[in-house]
Amino acid sequence: MSAAPGSAMDSLSAALKCNIIPNQEYLLQGSVLDQYVEVLLHRLRGLCDNVDSGPESFHDHELSFALRAQGAGAAPMVLPLRVRRALDSPDSPWQLRYVGQQELGDKNRPTVVRSSIDMACSSTIVDFLTELGCRIDFEYIARGYMFRKGRMKITVSKIFKMGNMNSKPGEGVEPISQSYLVELSVLAPTGQDAIAEDMRIFAEQLRPLVQLEKIDYKRLGNIP
Amino acid sequence: MQQREEKQLEFALENIIQRVNDLKSSIASMIMKVENEYETLNWPNFLDNYALISGQLTALSKVLSHDKCPVLRNLTVLPLMLSPERDEQLAQITEGRVTTFAHDLVPDYLRTKLEPMAESKMLQVENKAANLTYENAQKQVAAYQKVVLHVWDIVSKAREEWEVESSSRGNTQQNSSVADTHLLVAAVGMGKGLKMGASPNGGNPTSGGMMVAPQNRPGGAGGSVPIPSNTQSVPMNKAPSTIKTNIKSAAQIHPYGR
Repeated sequence: MSAAPGSAMDSLSAALKCNIIPNQEYLLQGSVLDQYVEVLLHRLRGLCDNVDSGPESFHDHELSFALRAQGAGAAPMVLPLRVRRALDSPDSPWQLRYVGQQELGDKNRPTVVRSSIDMACSSTIVDFLTELGCRIDFEYIARGYMFRKGRMKITVSKIFKMGNMNSKPGEGVEPISQSYLVELSVLAPTGQDAIAEDMRIFAEQLRPLVQLEKIDYKRLGNIP
Repeated sequence: MQQREEKQLEFALENIIQRVNDLKSSIASMIMKVENEYETLNWPNFLDNYALISGQLTALSKVLSHDKCPVLRNLTVLPLMLSPERDEQLAQITEGRVTTFAHDLVPDYLRTKLEPMAESKMLQVENKAANLTYENAQKQVAAYQKVVLHVWDIVSKAREEWEVESSSRGNTQQNSSVADTHLLVAAVGMGKGLKMGASPNGGNPTSGGMMVAPQNRPGGAGGSVPIPSNTQSVPMNKAPSTIKTNIKSAAQIHPYGR
């Protein structure tokens, strides 16, 4: 029994060393106004791989937990952890995801890069995280469509705020804006920067319908 | 003089024969493809073939209408001898399509007039045109012109609309709003506007600020001083005002509540 965790750690570190774990997320974000979303979906249907089956729809509830720990220095650490579950398919596993700080890079880098690790888990994850000392930071509902093109994933989703604490998810929710959030992302192992160029080219094809850009979160802090 | 013309004719004929042969071979390959590869043949490929043939046709008609090309219409082909027997040389030249140069085939192959049926039809039409009175013809021309003009109007109107639409779309780009993008990204990425603490009924148990304060207190230095500084300098970039009020209320509740 004692050997099992050790070997798991070994194989994990070996996998890390071989650089086969897709732990970098390349990301571009944008939005489209509600009245033009059909046009965008139509265009995506034409551009993306899953032409025959049509776009995949999703209806997810995302909880963002934060684990706060007093580090050795004065600066406190906040470890964000996101739990996501599909409301439209209750039997699917839940997803736990860590998303790191984003790196914007210089102008030559076409996309935002951030570390990202995700895994499937069961619904007890919420209790587990709570026991660990994580607290819900915020939550939202995302409903929309997912497209694929090669390794790229494109989601077009409406973001809803949870109505109030007592109502069930899916009830009493309100959209937070008159637009759909559009995200273009790829999960890849470290150092595969070539995919970012593909993403830039794909994003060009969606202009001027959607402006997919690198968005600096730090600047967003000042927006009312 | 005579010699030069002959040379020209020879050159032009050679040219024409080559073009016709090109055309023949590409038509043959297309037929081949349609017959044998109809399962794998895709549309772009088919169109490529078609474009090739149409290009060769254009080239051929260019050669025929070239200044240097003698007027072929003025030349006559005279069949000197007809024979009902098989002519091996002829069969070879025509790839086995024509084997005899006989009286029943020659009129078809050397025909310069239209077919009798087509000819009679043309004659009918010409007769009709000749019998038309001037006024009637004028009337018909006018009516025809009116129809054409009408169609022209429709087409140009549609074009105008289309151009206006596309140019306005290019200029204004009203399909997305930067403010909405930032709002959505900030909400999904940092929970801006989604945290329960920001809502008027701030006594919610899930609110971020509420939960943080009691949790940090035991671990921290104690007292209310380090808590606001902690919370404000976290990299999550929260709106300071809401958090401050929340923490205050938490600090007030804490000694009694627990």
